[in-house]
Amino acid sequence: MAKLKKRVPVREQAVKDRIHNFDSVPYGYNEEEAIAEAQRCIQCPNPTCETACPVNIKIKDMIHHIAEGQFKEAFLLTKDDDAFPACTGRVCPQEDQCEGSCIMLKTGQPISIGKLEGFAADWARKNNIKEEIKIPVSEKPKKAAVVGSGPAGLACAADLRKYGYDVTMFETLHQAGGVLEYGIPNFRLPKDIVEYELDALEKSGVEIKLNHTVGQNIGFDELQQEYDAIFLGTGAGAPRFMGIEGEKLNGVYSANEFLIRANLMKASLFPNWDTPIMVGKKVGVIGAGNVAMDAARTALRLGADEVSIIYRRKMDFSPARAEEYEHAKEEGIIFQELVNPTKIVGTDRGWVKGIEVVNMELGEKDSSGRPRPIPVEGTEHIIELDTVVEALGTTPNRLFLSRTPQLKTDKRGIITTDDNLMTSIPGVFAGGDAISGGATVILALGEGRKAAKAMHDYIENK
Amino acid sequence: MSHKITRKMDLNSADFYVEVEAPLVAERFKAGNFTVLMTNPHGERIPMSIMKVEDGKIAMFIKKLGKTSMELYKTLNTFEHVIGPMGNPINVKKYGNVVVASDLVCGHAENYAISKALSSVEGNHVTSFQTFPTSDDVYPDEVLAEKVCDEYHLTTEDGSRGEEGHYIDILEERLEKGEKIDIIFAGGALPNLKELGEMTESYNVPTIVTVRQIMVDASGMCGACRVFIDGKMKLACIDGPMFDAHKVDWESALRRPNMFVAKETVATKLCQETGRC
Repeated sequence: MAKLKKRVPVREQAVKDRIHNFDSVPYGYNEEEAIAEAQRCIQCPNPTCETACPVNIKIKDMIHHIAEGQFKEAFLLTKDDDAFPACTGRVCPQEDQCEGSCIMLKTGQPISIGKLEGFAADWARKNNIKEEIKIPVSEKPKKAAVVGSGPAGLACAADLRKYGYDVTMFETLHQAGGVLEYGIPNFRLPKDIVEYELDALEKSGVEIKLNHTVGQNIGFDELQQEYDAIFLGTGAGAPRFMGIEGEKLNGVYSANEFLIRANLMKASLFPNWDTPIMVGKKVGVIGAGNVAMDAARTALRLGADEVSIIYRRKMDFSPARAEEYEHAKEEGIIFQELVNPTKIVGTDRGWVKGIEVVNMELGEKDSSGRPRPIPVEGTEHIIELDTVVEALGTTPNRLFLSRTPQLKTDKRGIITTDDNLMTSIPGVFAGGDAISGGATVILALGEGRKAAKAMHDYIENK
Repeated sequence: MSHKITRKMDLNSADFYVEVEAPLVAERFKAGNFTVLMTNPHGERIPMSIMKVEDGKIAMFIKKLGKTSMELYKTLNTFEHVIGPMGNPINVKKYGNVVVASDLVCGHAENYAISKALSSVEGNHVTSFQTFPTSDDVYPDEVLAEKVCDEYHLTTEDGSRGEEGHYIDILEERLEKGEKIDIIFAGGALPNLKELGEMTESYNVPTIVTVRQIMVDASGMCGACRVFIDGKMKLACIDGPMFDAHKVDWESALRRPNMFVAKETVATKLCQETGRC
């Protein structure tokens, strides 16, 4: 009978309110709602959700605990496999992972696993429930360095500390958290959640050195001399631009710049905070992934009248999370599909006034398995805009790589590793976007954790 | 983690000198590097040239321009963050006849650091030019590059002190007369650096200039400081901040720093109204 019950909807901020603020869009489940949703789970003998999870969270038992009102147990169980369930519950593409393989999908109503995971973690945070960490005491602990404080680095540092290492984390920015802080907006991942995790990490004894750029104001060789093993979670931070005419105009941003100004530097609070952002009346965001959705919805919240997503394919083929696409549509983001920018046009004074696009049609499947978009000759036309944000993905951290020529990378600058995530330099491990070129938070967390284990084995056997 | 300001001093009616404790930056600074400042936890990340380092402190020249600099001048005794050194140092080696030139606040700081670094190399003859509008604008002697170069020329545009004219005109005259200059390093007002490049190109003198741009993270992540060198996109923060003046796309380099002017005016007004600057 349970099968017929509908998914418990998540209460959300009303559209008319949320487009004017940066607060979380979903409110999350309360206890009754979480229990009701968890009770819909039929507790499959062979839970496909768990195999579809990149870190194999024990989802079935987590849901069972929630259904029984055992929220603490549910939380502690997720923590076994996922360093930051409050984050992943909010940012994982669940429809491609756990929820996408839920047996209930056949009814069109898979269990809301992400929301349940987020609920358990939020409940624990509100009730001050923490996992108990027993750090082995040793007189002269071995030392480990973690470069970069994004998801991969954070997960790695947390586990290295649990193994008993003296852990130092190096972060370039004045704020730790990596993409969780500078990239993902507060309306999707509230920053108090990230700061709670950072605080826990510091309390466990991890030292976070802010304003330290390895390869720039501290040498990689210095790290090699001082630490028994090193983890590189340097991310894929450099923006990619289309390389079309008009990108030099004022009013063109990379999504990275746009989001760093808005998120990390709190440009929405300007002039009380000092970092400005210029957002025009008509904003066009090129690209259709999560970062593009984030930039578009941020532009709306910063006061733009009209925000368009400009995408050369159909939204069916967009890599964005389903929830973000739905939220963006609800908020009135315009989706201009099957158009590809050919040049940005400007005013005499050098500011953006529009973008020329060409219509696309879909051809045979390309290497990504999606129909290849092909330009339709003679269909060039201008979309009027005064701000352009390019959300075309990122490339690896060039600054770090240029100072570590001994580190093997592929052609694109992605650090190559063996099965244990060790790089070409013995004792130096890597994970996250630095080795993937751009993937998900959950994969980065998983790799951080896997690398910590491998670093532990490496140091033990040295 | 705030950094104590140990000295502030007027340089002229518009510019001031700031010295701040920043051991890491001081220890690792090389001529050509810059620092990134945040005056408070809500502050902007502002790239700034360094004049000299001494005993764990760094010295900078700052113009009273907008909210942050006015507030710094009037009320602040600390910086929240002093980050770096960032950017690439210049190649300190034997060039021969070197000219280091500047005509604006940050450029003067760079002039001091670069003159000092290059004059320490045997075989270099470093001539430093510093141009100010009038005698009233000339900085105090103790911070001029005179002590750290081999030959020094102070110039004012109205001729009220030192030689008359902008350093670009004086250099052109010297080049016209056949003086051999092996390389020029220059910093200061961007339109003048463009003009300098146009002038030296015709004499085939290698000219390396600081292309000052707005930065946010200053570590290669945001792309705000993109400049176009020989048609290729480069980032001033990690590829610069100094580039070959003959290869810079000056049109966009001159335009980009104006992107936020309207907003900055708003911030300064609010700050003045609340009495902080």
